[in-house]
Order: sequence, then structure tokens, then C-alpha cells
Amino acid sequence: MGVAGNARAGVVSRKHLEAGPSRYVIARRLLPYALIAPALLVIAGVLGYPLGMLLWISTQQYGFRELIQHQGVFIGLQNFATILTDPQFNYVVRTSLLFTVINVGLSMFMATVIALLLERVSRPVRILLSSGLVFVWATPVIPAVNLWQWMFDYEFGVVNWLLTHIGVGNYIHHNWFENPVQGFAVITIIVVWGAIPFLALTLYAGLTQVPRELVDAAEIDGARPWQVLTNVTLPIVRPLLIILFSLSTIWDFGVFNQVWVLLNARPNKDYFLISVYSFQESFRVSKYGLGAAAAVVMVAILAIVSIFYIRETIRLTAEQSQ
Amino acid sequence: MRRGVRRTFFDGAAVLIFVAMIFPIYWMVSTALKPGKEILSLTPVWIPTQLNLGNFQTAIHVPFFWNDVVNSLIIVSTTVVVSIVLAFLAAASVARFGFRGRTAFVVMVIAVQMVPLNALVIPIYLLLDQVGQVDSLIGVIAYYMAVVLPFMIWTLRGFITNVPVDLEEAAMIDGATRVGAFMRIVFPLVAPGLVATAIFGFIQAWNEYIIAYVLLSSSSKQTLTIWLASFTTQHGTDWGGLMAGATLTALPVVALFIVVQRYVQGSLTAGAVKG
Amino acid sequence: MNPRKLLFSVAAAFALLATACGGTNSTSNTTGNETGTLTVWLMNGSAPQSVVDGVNADFKAKHPNVTVNVEIQQWSDVTTKLDTAFTGSTPPDIMELGNTLVAKYASVGALADITSKKGSFENSGTWLQSLTDSCTFQSKLYCVPYYAGSRAIIYRTDMFAAAGVQPPTSMDQLMTVGQALMAKYGSDPNFSALYFPGKYWYAAAPFVWDFGGDIATSSGSKWSGALNSSQAQQGLTELNTLVSKLSRADKTGDELKQDAAFAQGHIAMIVANGWEVGVITDPKSGDPTLKDKLGAFPIPSHTPGQTAPVFLGGSDLGIAAKSKNQALAREWVGLLGGTKFQSQMVTVGGVIPNTTTLVSLSTGLPAIFASAAKNSRFTPNSPNWANVESANVLQDMLVSIFTGKASIPTATSTASDKITTILNS
Repeated sequence: MGVAGNARAGVVSRKHLEAGPSRYVIARRLLPYALIAPALLVIAGVLGYPLGMLLWISTQQYGFRELIQHQGVFIGLQNFATILTDPQFNYVVRTSLLFTVINVGLSMFMATVIALLLERVSRPVRILLSSGLVFVWATPVIPAVNLWQWMFDYEFGVVNWLLTHIGVGNYIHHNWFENPVQGFAVITIIVVWGAIPFLALTLYAGLTQVPRELVDAAEIDGARPWQVLTNVTLPIVRPLLIILFSLSTIWDFGVFNQVWVLLNARPNKDYFLISVYSFQESFRVSKYGLGAAAAVVMVAILAIVSIFYIRETIRLTAEQSQ
Repeated sequence: MRRGVRRTFFDGAAVLIFVAMIFPIYWMVSTALKPGKEILSLTPVWIPTQLNLGNFQTAIHVPFFWNDVVNSLIIVSTTVVVSIVLAFLAAASVARFGFRGRTAFVVMVIAVQMVPLNALVIPIYLLLDQVGQVDSLIGVIAYYMAVVLPFMIWTLRGFITNVPVDLEEAAMIDGATRVGAFMRIVFPLVAPGLVATAIFGFIQAWNEYIIAYVLLSSSSKQTLTIWLASFTTQHGTDWGGLMAGATLTALPVVALFIVVQRYVQGSLTAGAVKG
Repeated sequence: MNPRKLLFSVAAAFALLATACGGTNSTSNTTGNETGTLTVWLMNGSAPQSVVDGVNADFKAKHPNVTVNVEIQQWSDVTTKLDTAFTGSTPPDIMELGNTLVAKYASVGALADITSKKGSFENSGTWLQSLTDSCTFQSKLYCVPYYAGSRAIIYRTDMFAAAGVQPPTSMDQLMTVGQALMAKYGSDPNFSALYFPGKYWYAAAPFVWDFGGDIATSSGSKWSGALNSSQAQQGLTELNTLVSKLSRADKTGDELKQDAAFAQGHIAMIVANGWEVGVITDPKSGDPTLKDKLGAFPIPSHTPGQTAPVFLGGSDLGIAAKSKNQALAREWVGLLGGTKFQSQMVTVGGVIPNTTTLVSLSTGLPAIFASAAKNSRFTPNSPNWANVESANVLQDMLVSIFTGKASIPTATSTASDKITTILNS
């Protein structure tokens, strides 16, 4: 594919160079920039100033009074020092990373299973399952988390009732959130449940791109389903998988709503994922400078964590568009 | 014969997964149909004793409900339609061309998605306040687009790079232009990806609360998410109403998906015949 | 510093100066020929529609050329909304503020100083003291009391009758009554004589106050947390005993679901607001058959025959300092806070009015809550109090006491230190 393709590409472009005027060449060179320009304009135009302001405020002492007066007190990197030397911060980062790893792993695993299933089921079942997934996906987050909250409620929860009646044990008045390990298990279920639809449907869309001929050829050659999967399908959807992994990581690292709503906007310290910690210790108590610094720290950690994905993607991008 | 058995097995597994995923949704809809005492009850009420639509009726009769529907539709459709076009162009550029600044652009697209949006609420408000776009649908649309674009570009790029370049080159040797080849070959193949990405953008914008709430104050300009929040007052939450509202909010998206997915099926088979 | 910021600071400084100098943009008398728009933010669920319509109708009669836009705001994330509104260039002219939030906005000059105009408001001489206190910052008045709510104990009259007990008139009696109820119904694992979720600090505060303790005290401008005083600890010890013997509620939960729980029929008493009666008996949220089985009595003091001080919740109406329609805004606020519409707030809205003269309009169960309001206290009136609430200091303290994770001296001293830090920051 590679060499022959490049040769043909060479023929094509040489043909254009010989025949066309230089204006065409210049237009062609500008084309990539023209294509990204509108999107870049919107993103930079809308988010540029706010991001800049965020960075600026992170170096200031900026409470509510300063917000009203649009004027803070410059304190350099002190906000960052406060955060990084906070004894709780260590716990928060470790918990967030562990939480992210588990959630991304579970979400991607389930999404892959479901995507593969979607390929192999009959049409009515496919429509049923994908519509169900979309319904879950479309349900507004806050009412959905409230639903899960009820299901795990101390006295009204279906889960407690079911577990007791099936005979797993006495779960009457079992408080799922007293022990953070159990609490995080519940939060994980909610996050994975909410994440599956997009990942599964997008992965399924990617799987439909795998050329039928390649799969058929491999099967004719005698390959078993597992081998077809790993040798034919996987390499083709690999770039997409990397993207979904990276998106999952970014989103799961920033999980906020589920914890916040589940614990009625008053989460216990044990439940401070980094976004919750950042919000609670700063914005909620009107310490905007500290909050901005916490956001910057979050982005920094996330960037370090995703450096693998980013490098992979840049490498793939580079080798694809030669 | 063996294929048939395998398919039945897969069908069974898929239905089981469907039931597991949809159970909370079932709970949501049945809550909307239950009277108050059955909603939070010590013994779970699996099936509502009466199918009473009162909650749905109250939900629809909240003042300005239809305004909220129209506003949400305007904001979200504009956001999605414009964003998907802009994102597709940018993604095509990044996927197919090597140009200086491409890495920087890609890094920016990724980095912007890492910023927690909570932190940006006040700065965004101040920015829009300066340009007079507070309490305006345009301000909200601009913000939603800026938030949705990076992710759309990132995902669409993945779909486009999955399509081998030689398919386009073969078409160009047959006489097509670069652009023509791209549209005729790549577009049908990434259509499912476009659909998934567009729906994602739709759902993000459709269910967003905090920015819509902070920016829009006039009763006539608010959105459905603000309407959903209205079921919670200082007296507590009207759970039946909230669940009825949540169901109503989710339905248009499901309807949209069912319509679009039939279209996607169609274009896929067309592509197969050609290829 | 970037020029835009400079502009902002200058503009803000001028705005503050203008209002401090007595308002160059307001006239003392209105003539009825004014034009313009008045924007009012009211919270969802606070005023019945008929009251709002009535106020607007009366206002329009006097100022036919002024448009009044009443915009209903949601409670979810309302502080963020208010923060941005005051920071931006066009805050609403009038807004309803929860009484614990006023100090925060008054202290930065976001609200108009109406001290000199107090006399122009009907009933200002008989405003409820706690609400007036919530509107006062550094001896100046920054808002008008709007309405209040207070707590008492709602109980099941039929359960009391079956257990042969009467509403208690002292805390010791409360314990006896509770134990009698537990003896009669306690074999039901879901039964609570007094259902008390752990985080319910509004219901815990009366116990602290009744024994003479307080949440924080101030000397000059310095605050110090006072929960570790022996009186406060005594109150909390009493509460802890009651909770451990009489309540099966979630010790780490809050009071949001307590009405739904009460409606299930396995609870004899809850500490509740007056409007919770409506929630319990509403067919959409509770059990209508309980309507005739409910009674109420004020939280009894440890001194027999007296009632414990309760927290007075409620809202005030503030006028933005940046508003260009100060006089018109004051008139509109005056209407809503005046006798005519406050009476309707009582009879139609079922809340406690802003003036003691109308409190007697309450009938039935609401009257009990209204009379409980006569012995009411407020939270420390510091601009940083909102931050104490947001930091969950009191909730965390109560949970650690009730779950036994910390002793009362330890928990109260931790909480007091945190409160001192936050209030003085």
C-alpha cells in the first residue's frame, strides 16, 4: 500500500506542477490553513481571553471583593505552592489517577464488547441496542445521577432491597457512601454506564469502516474469529482506539458532576477527586485565584498523563500524511 | 446453520446488555408515572400502580416551556450544524495535509479539552459581557461551539485517517479533483463517524446547564436545561416532574438518532456497492 | 496592567463612589412620568404568581410608562449566577437574596445603601428583627426583609395518641415521649421516633443556642468560632443522645428526603419548616391521607415551658448599587414588602411575613411555625459566612459526632478553628 501509493501520488503532483500556474500552487499551500482557520477562529476567539484570564488570576489573590473590582493582588506562584504543599493534595491526585485508570479500562472494555456485538447481531436487535444506548446517552446527567442515587439510597434503595431479598446479606439501611471504596465503586458504575454509549457507538462506526474484503479474505485463509480481530480489525481501528482512550482519560480525570450530585453538593473529603477538590476548595469559597491555579495544575497533570497518547497520535499523524 | 446459532447467541447477549443499561431509564420513566408515595418508597414499586400522566402535563404547562424548547432547538441545531462543518474541514486538513503549525494546532486542540469548564464560567461571562452578548442566544452558541469543536476535530481526524489515502488517489487518477475525490470517497466512509460525533455535540449542548443558566436571564430566552432545574425549589425537588422532564428532554435526541441512523445505513450500502 | 482592566477598575471605582456619595442618579420622589425598564429577579417558588401580578398591577397604575420584567431564577447554582451578575455591567435592578447571602454582596458594595430611606418602607418599624439583622452590615441597611420561614417539630397525632403521649414542653420530656414511641413502634426497623439526618445543622443549631452557646462571636471586626464553648457542647451532647436513641435516619445524610420518608408512615417526628407540611401531604410528593394526622409544636427548650431559639430562614430584597432606577426600584420593593402583599404572602404563600404585625394572620399549623419564629436567631452576619456554609464545616462536625468518629470536644474544636479561619479571611 505504502510505496506504490506514494509513487502514484508523486505522478499526480508532478503532473500538476508541470501543467499548472504558480497561483494554483500557492492556493494549494494555503488550503490547509484556510481549512483550519474558521475552527481556529472560533476556539481562539471565544476561549482565548478566558484562558488567558484564568492563567492571570492563578498568580493573584482573587476573592469576591477582587472579582467585583476586577483587580487582584499579584502573589506570583504562591497559589500553586499552597496547592502543591497541601497534605490533602497527594491523596487527591493518587485517588484521581487510580479512579481514571479503572474507569477508562472498564469503559473501553465494555464499549469494545458492545461494539463488536453490534456488528454481529441481527438488524432489529442492533436497532434496539443502539437506540437504548442513545437513550442512556441522551438522558440529562443530573436526573440520571439522581436515579442512581435513589437506587443506592440508604433506606429507599432498590439495590439494598434486592441484595437483602436475594440473600446476599443484610443490606437494610446499608450506607454505600460511608466507606469510600464502596462509594467510589458506585460512582464508577455510574460513570462507566454514562460513558459506554458514546464509546461503543463511535467504535462501532469505526468498525464499519473496516473493508469487508479484508475480513473475508482472512476468513477464507482459515483465520479464526479471534485472529481476524487481532490481525485485521485491530490494526485498522487502532488510531480510533487511541483517540477514544485519550478522550476517556481526559473526561474521567475531570469527573465532577457525578460525585457532586451523588453526594448532594456536600462531598466528604474522601471523595475529593481533583475536579471536586479544585471546585470545593476554591470557587465554592470564593477563592478564585486558588481555583484558577488548581485548574492549571489539573491540566498539567493531565498533560503529563496523556503524553503517551499525544505522542502516539502525533507520530501516527506524521506517518499517515506523508 | 452454525452462523444462525452464533447470531442467536449474540442477539441474546445484546438483549441482556440492553436490559442492564436501560434499567435506570426504565426507573426514570416509571417514576414519572408514579404518585408521590411510590416514588421514594421503602419497598420498591416495580410497576407503577396507575399510568398517570399528570407529571408530564404539569411539566409541559410550566410557564415558558415552549419558549425553552424553541431556544434549545435554535441553540443546539446552530451549534451542531456549524461546528460539524468547521470541524470536518479542520479535521480533513490535519488528516490529509502536512503543514507547518499542524502539530501546534493538534496540541492546542487536545490541550483545550483538558481545561475543567467549571473554572471558565466567570471569565466567559466577563468576556461576553464586554461584547454585549450576555442574555443572548448568540453568546451561548459561540461558547458551545468553542467547547465542542476541539473534541469534534479530534474524533473526526481519527475517522478520516482511517480511510487509506490511495482510495482517493485512485479516484484522482480516474480524473477526479482532489476535493472531488475526497468528498466522493471519504465522506460516505466517515458518515457513521460524522453521525456519532454530531450526536455527541448535540447531546453536550442540549444538556448543558451552568453556562446557559449564568448567561440567560430573561424568561423568554432560557433553555430546557434551565426548565429542568426549575423542578427544584427551596422546598425540595418535584421528583415526578423532574423525571417526566428528563424523559421529555431525552426523547428528541433518541428520535433524531433513529431518523439519522436509517440514513447512515443507506449511505453505507451505497458505498459498498461502489467499492 | 492591561488597559481593559484599568478601565474596569476605574468604572467600578466611580460606581462605588457615586453610590457612596448618596447617589447622583436617584431622585427622592417619583412623579409617574418616568420611562424605562425595571428588571427584577425572584427565586423560583418564593412568591405566588397572584402576588407578583398584583404588585406589578399596582406599580403600573402609578408608573404607566415603566416596564417591569420579573425574571424567575433557579436555585441550582444561584450564587454563581449572582456573582457573575454583580461582576458584569448589567445586574438586575432588584433581586431576591437568601438572607444568609446578603452580607457577602453588601460588603463589596454591590447592593445599594438604603439606610436613609428606611422610613419610606411600610412597616419598617416592625420588621422581624432577624431579617433586619440579615440586611444590616456595618450598621447600614442594604436590603428590605421579604419573607421568613422557621422550624418546629411536625408529629403524627395518631401515633402520639396510640402511644399515649402529648407534645412535650421540655427537652427531657421530648426524650421521654420519644422513648415511649420507640417502645411502641420500634420493632419496625424503619421506624424513627425523631427522624434526624446527620447533616441537618439547621435543626441542630437550636440545641446549641438553647444552652447559651453560639456558632461564632465577634468582638469588633474579629470573629471567633464558639462551638467549643461548654454551653455549645452541652447542647450537642443532648442532641447526640436524642439522635442515638430516637433516630434511625442516615447519620451521614441530609434532610432533603425527610418529607418523602415521613410520608412513608414510619416516622413519628421530624424537625421541619412550615411548608414541609404541604410537601408531606401533596399527592405528587407524599401521602395525602396524612392530612388530618399531622400536628406541630415548637422545639422545646431544656428549660421547661420555654421554646428553643430557631434559625430564621428567609429572603430579602436588595437593590443593585449599579441600578439606574433607584427610586423606582425602592417603590417596587416597597409594594412587595408592604402590608397589602405581605398579607397575601401569608394567606396564599403560607410563609411568615416580614413584619410582626401580620404574623397573626397565620392560621392552623402555619401559626405554630410563625409563633416559633418569635424566638429566632440568625447565623453570624459576616460576609464570609456563605463560605462557611459552602465549606460544609457544620455538616462535617455533626456527622463526625453522630457516627462516633470524633468526640464532641474534638469535633467542636476542629469546627470552631475552621470557622474562625474562614470568617476572618
